[in-house]
Amino acid sequence: MRLRSQALLGITLAATLSSAAVRADQLDDIKKKGEIVFGVLGTDEPNSFVDPKTREIVGYEVDIGQAIARKLGVKPVFKQLSVAARIPELQQGRVDVLAASLTHNKERESQIDFSLTTFVTGQKVLVKTSSGVTDIKQLAGKKVLTVKGGTQEPNIRKAVPGVDVVTFETTQQAFLALQQGKGVGYVNDEASLVNDHAKLGAAKKDYAILPQNISVEPLALGLKKGEKALKAQVDGVLRELESSGAAEKLFLKWYGPTTKLQFDKRSFKIETDQI
Amino acid sequence: MPSFDLNLLLHGQYHDWLVSGLWLSLALTGMTLALALPLSVGVALLRLSPWAVLRALGAAYVEGIRNVPLLAHLLFWYFGAPELLPEPVKQWLYAGNIEVASAVVALTLYIAAYMAEDIRSGIRAIPQGQFDAGRALGFSFMATMRWVVLPQAFRVTVPPLISQTLNLWKDTSVATVIGVAEMMYQAAKVESASFRSAEAFAFATSAYLVVSLLITGAAAWVQRRHPVRAA
Repeated sequence: MRLRSQALLGITLAATLSSAAVRADQLDDIKKKGEIVFGVLGTDEPNSFVDPKTREIVGYEVDIGQAIARKLGVKPVFKQLSVAARIPELQQGRVDVLAASLTHNKERESQIDFSLTTFVTGQKVLVKTSSGVTDIKQLAGKKVLTVKGGTQEPNIRKAVPGVDVVTFETTQQAFLALQQGKGVGYVNDEASLVNDHAKLGAAKKDYAILPQNISVEPLALGLKKGEKALKAQVDGVLRELESSGAAEKLFLKWYGPTTKLQFDKRSFKIETDQI
Repeated sequence: MPSFDLNLLLHGQYHDWLVSGLWLSLALTGMTLALALPLSVGVALLRLSPWAVLRALGAAYVEGIRNVPLLAHLLFWYFGAPELLPEPVKQWLYAGNIEVASAVVALTLYIAAYMAEDIRSGIRAIPQGQFDAGRALGFSFMATMRWVVLPQAFRVTVPPLISQTLNLWKDTSVATVIGVAEMMYQAAKVESASFRSAEAFAFATSAYLVVSLLITGAAAWVQRRHPVRAA
């Protein structure tokens, strides 16, 4: 009995020591491993989604991840996460970097670090025109649908006091529930809403995106707190993308006039990690 | 790491969210139980029926339900089944609390399959002679069941039914996937609003544990108070 508990203690100690060693510097570990693990959503077109033809995860954030891996000389691995699991998975070290439509806000700064802002989007509400809702204020007392664990729920609650919010595991389930008529509105980042709206095809005319922003969301890559060397590298790659014009090209490739989203121009630059 | 903040659980908005989740979890358990009990007695009787067609029907229900995970049941009854209803019925349903309604339907059908099996084995524990005696005295199948077999089977069946209630209580947590604001849903909501995972899930864990222990205690009490009699 005594012997066993001593052995257990030994194992625990060894595990603690080795994890302390691992924690020394994430950038070194990534280089040693030869791979960098990005946590992506994989369900949020065009940031990260599964290409129906190749069955691979592609998108704006995936391309940024690939640029970072190229610079570090390691293999990129993309791991799909749910919206609610993003920050815990990063904190527990199961992914190295979050590239998962992650909003950079003050509340989250106490939990994790953020790269330069990689995208700016407003959050809006998609409604069925038959509901007669044309202004977000009319949503008070009505049921709106969105995803669990993101900034969507707190933002809509703040913007429309008294709104009834129902949340699901993925944005697409919330969108499906809207189409089935289980709520009058569906809250998401504008870029995703435009994309979802376009997916409706002929039924598109029965839906409208309300003009008001419920918030403006700077999206950024999420990094484990205090990993300065990794953050410097990631930010360096992002600055390079901006200065070489590659960032503009990436924006046009995934969001530009020839895509479903049809954004005319980029309203932001990748230049700061301040919000 | 910030320390454990008990106050978060005792007062304020997060407390209110968690408590409302606890009440809804309890209500889900209660509503489901009230509907599942009669349904499971019906299914158990089907499985013991003298007619092969009815027996097959009962068996098909039990096997069809038990061999599909609860998650699939919930998603089906929320996203799938209501869409097949006629438009006016659908509109009426969706105007109400369709999340809770779907969860109650899915949980009822699911747990009733298990309860039916417990009731069936309870009935089968009563010696055949009791049933035959009833029939010999001129009682019909249903009357023999009602007056002779079921009252005795009841004592055998209650403890496993209470243990199914315990499973049901824990299973209500799966309803979070269809947007039912039960306890796990509220705990996740508190977590994403406050980053207080430890506090949120400590509340949920202890509430599940306390209610579960009460149910287990009830099972032990019933067993002592109403022991199975030798026939």
